[in-house]
Amino acid sequence: MARISIDPVTRIEGHLRVDVEVDGGVVNKAWASCTMWRGLETILRRRDAREGWVFAQRFCGVCTTVHAVASVRAVEDALSLEIPPNAQYIRNLILIGHALHDNIVHFYHLSALDFVDILQIPKADPAKAASIAEGYSSWTGNSRQELAAVQTKVKGLVGSGQLGIFSHGYWGHPAMKLSPEVNLILFSHYLQALDFQRKSCQIVAILGGKTPHIQNLAVGGVMNAINLNSLATMNMDRLGMLKAILEDLIPFVQQVFLADTCLLAAYYPEYLHLGRGVANYLAVPDLPLDAKASKFDLPGGIIMNGNLAGVRPIVNWQDAEFRKAVTEDNTHAWYQGSQFTPYKGQQIPDYTDFNADAKYTWVKAPRYNGSPMQTGPLATVLVGYASGHAKTRKWTDTALNRIAAVNGLKVTPDDLQSTMGRYLGRAIRSSILSDLALEHLQLLTTNILNGDDTTYNAPKFPTGEIMGMGMHEAPRGSLSHWVVIEKGAFTNYQAVVPTTWNASPRDEKGVPGPYESSLIGTPVVEAEKPLEVLRTVHSFDPCMACSCHTLDANGKEIAQVKVQ
Amino acid sequence: MNLTSIIGLGNVFLGDDGFGPLAIETFRCKYECSPDVEVLDLGTPGLDLAPYLYDKRLVIVVDTVHSDSAIGALSIFQEGDFLSERAKLRITGHDPGLWDSLAHLRLAGHAPLELIIVGVNPESCEFAEPISEEVWSTAAKAAAMIAKSLTERGIACGLRRSPAEPNLWWLRMKEPESSTAASGALTHA
Repeated sequence: MARISIDPVTRIEGHLRVDVEVDGGVVNKAWASCTMWRGLETILRRRDAREGWVFAQRFCGVCTTVHAVASVRAVEDALSLEIPPNAQYIRNLILIGHALHDNIVHFYHLSALDFVDILQIPKADPAKAASIAEGYSSWTGNSRQELAAVQTKVKGLVGSGQLGIFSHGYWGHPAMKLSPEVNLILFSHYLQALDFQRKSCQIVAILGGKTPHIQNLAVGGVMNAINLNSLATMNMDRLGMLKAILEDLIPFVQQVFLADTCLLAAYYPEYLHLGRGVANYLAVPDLPLDAKASKFDLPGGIIMNGNLAGVRPIVNWQDAEFRKAVTEDNTHAWYQGSQFTPYKGQQIPDYTDFNADAKYTWVKAPRYNGSPMQTGPLATVLVGYASGHAKTRKWTDTALNRIAAVNGLKVTPDDLQSTMGRYLGRAIRSSILSDLALEHLQLLTTNILNGDDTTYNAPKFPTGEIMGMGMHEAPRGSLSHWVVIEKGAFTNYQAVVPTTWNASPRDEKGVPGPYESSLIGTPVVEAEKPLEVLRTVHSFDPCMACSCHTLDANGKEIAQVKVQ
Repeated sequence: MNLTSIIGLGNVFLGDDGFGPLAIETFRCKYECSPDVEVLDLGTPGLDLAPYLYDKRLVIVVDTVHSDSAIGALSIFQEGDFLSERAKLRITGHDPGLWDSLAHLRLAGHAPLELIIVGVNPESCEFAEPISEEVWSTAAKAAAMIAKSLTERGIACGLRRSPAEPNLWWLRMKEPESSTAASGALTHA
């Protein structure tokens, strides 16, 4: 039996340690530990509730907008304040722009190299690669010339002997299975993705004023001035620019990103049967369509024990069960106290060093009616599919058909409850969001053309104590901010973030969280190079910054794998 | 298309790590430049830095850089200083984003033509701590260093006739509750 400790896990945002116990070449126990203290909410206490979002969007350097929007939604909920439809659509478009950006970067720049072997690329035949690529996607960026140019660059890199940032990959690992040509195609998209990362940022910048820290939010709506006759405001030119960017970006999402995840699934079918872990799923409704937020374009719901036939819908943000069901357990986290509801949550440190049988992480254990929950794009897709959501059905079926078209592999929606399902789920959700981006841009345009230029309803704060909760279905899953306000200032602030749900430690009953459970049963061929473990951990898109604290203490530290 | 980016990196909640945002805000208020110069507070963006480096002529990154010099000492660094073994410099936690983004853009053929780093040696980058006196007082010098770097490269930049008031939003508003220190935790960047 071997104990493998990966500290830190690289190609994630923030600082995560994963320990696994391997017996007979298979993981039988796992621990996820966040090694940075979380104290971010203390910054919010006693601040003006109207400006909390400005601070909340600095929780994380990467997911800035998601915390900004969850924060204003929480305050608006406490005030029972409706916001104008224009403000809903503008926020929705910002959130979609951010999500597309985030999901593209995750797939290509943070996880593709777990499956793509750069050292195989020099052996590829670019003509053959072009013909494979043209066979599975109508994307125009897969020509022989384009692929040959990428191959030349990689040959230069490999030939120089200076792999730089690519020098720590598990190249030549027995679990790498793509042909030289498919490696070339995927790496070519890795480089092309940089341009689309930039384009999705532009959507956020046009609407939010600036990226990555948007400027246009307000409790009560947005501060975008709408005037079709003014150059300095939201006008037909700006709306036209957004449409042009989306029309350029969407083919990359639907014909490249989605197609590439399907290609991986076809070549790595074993990952459709690995990494299921916690099969309880949580997704919250998002992309509200009206001022009251009574209708949504992304459905929310709860699935327990992997039972796709039994989804419990979360119809809106007022959902009484959700507000009562969420607790955070500190039995195995370095905090005092045992269990709190978010409104009463606190984080008083109780550090003990890593102790697998007691406290071992700075991440709390959120529970839903006492159960661990998996959240993220896969949860959204499963909830949407199970509840018959048309766009989710369309893009999930498209993905399953694309996989079958590669090599005849038959994949069912149930197989998506896996490591590969999380990669597919992210691309399926991005495809759905791409369609919705155009629809919400049209809703905004039509509303403005109909003469509605309102974007803001001024908040009024009572002197007594009020409480509110703001939800957002973020790129990594369900996010909720819980606030207590008195005389217009926060007296308590808690964020229950997606990575806290997924990277949760064991709870008081000893039940492990999603990262930990999903690793059980993972084969590890070479203990010194636990590539299979990384594939499953990366499938969750860990972002530890807001789940614990901000920055990595050791800038240039290289991932260390210790085997005992 | 903005050809030059002046980028402040760092987390405003981590003491001296807030130097980048402070220095570029000081620069923005004291100087005016040609319209193709963009001044950006990017926080700690990791790989999300790439869009702001894409196809630029010049990028000036302002950040904390750990070095053997005195606290608050200001220096101009180039990429080679960080990559060579003998320089032994260490930028704060956001550096993986910087070097990875640069390497990606170089392979894709969209790297900036020139990148320089204006770095200050920080005292401490502790959570919820104020910025140190030594680092705070360096901001005006850093702004002048940015201006000089621009004019040396033929990019128009001069003092504003009437300087604007810096918007240091993270220092104003209602005071936060003082945080409880976490013993044993890694809280410095």
